[in-house]
Amino acid sequence: MRLEKCWFCSSTIYPGHGIQFVRNDAKIFRFCRSKCHKNFKMKRNPRKVKWTKAYRRLHGKDMTQDATFEFERKRNRPERYDRNLTENTLKAIKVIDKVRSRREETHIKNRMKGKKSKITKEALKELDQQIHMIKAPGAMVKDASATTSAKVTVKVQHDTDENRMEE
Amino acid sequence: MAINSASNLFHAGRSLLRGLNGSYLGMLISPQETTCNSLLAQQIRTFIQMRTNLKVVDNSGAKRVMCIQALKGKKGARLGDTIVASVKEAQPGGKVKKGQVVYGVVVRAAMQKGRSDGSEVKFDDNAVVLVNKQGEPIGTRVFGPVPHELRKKKHVKILSLAQHIA
Repeated sequence: MRLEKCWFCSSTIYPGHGIQFVRNDAKIFRFCRSKCHKNFKMKRNPRKVKWTKAYRRLHGKDMTQDATFEFERKRNRPERYDRNLTENTLKAIKVIDKVRSRREETHIKNRMKGKKSKITKEALKELDQQIHMIKAPGAMVKDASATTSAKVTVKVQHDTDENRMEE
Repeated sequence: MAINSASNLFHAGRSLLRGLNGSYLGMLISPQETTCNSLLAQQIRTFIQMRTNLKVVDNSGAKRVMCIQALKGKKGARLGDTIVASVKEAQPGGKVKKGQVVYGVVVRAAMQKGRSDGSEVKFDDNAVVLVNKQGEPIGTRVFGPVPHELRKKKHVKILSLAQHIA
């Protein structure tokens, strides 16, 4: 049993899933599901399709070089069965997986860093402009303590109230 | 009054129908287009049956062959099955001539075949290797990839001649 990688999205293909397409030049394309297969038939380049691993690696969204990738290299030489070796390998797989996912998370977090000032600026702007979504304009006028920022000049329009009374 | 109302109703009904027809026609065009598109995008590959043209991938002399009968299989032949075929196109100095009736083993089929591990394989085209009644290949070379389904069908000779086993 061998866990292959999907040609299009680079996810692992478990036994019982997917379709293998053998081209006449003997190149084998494995697909994890029909989504990838149909995209291949449409002749789409996975490096240009945003949700594939190929695109993410190419555009630096995901980690590219790491020592943990060396463990997953394809080896064509079959190993002689050794119970201890198998046991250790299984334990190692768990550890390596944890390490790799942790490193990937840090990579993404580092990528998303440097947005704090932008986020606070946007939040302030939203608070100034969109406060009517939360509190009714009338309520703001009546209850001065409910206003958001310290400096808010509220134009209290008594005229409209009088007009309302007339109607 | 009644007649007038009736005529009014009649006219109203007619215009309604016309409107309905117009929209219906408009609707008719789009689903047809979408079905055509979906059909073009996804070709449904089926069995190899009578009148199926197959490519010959050995050096027996034939180039194209048309299936006459799929031995075994009510709906048709699949990957690894034997067929009876008529040679439609042949090379001038080959072991087989045009119009000859031959047996062949399907080595590549565009229709997917399920494997024992649950995956499915499919090839780019329909290809056949000509054999004699005993199942031994007529030619001495086989071109292109062949599936290892042939091993189960006891076509070991073809596998040994193959360049690449898929």
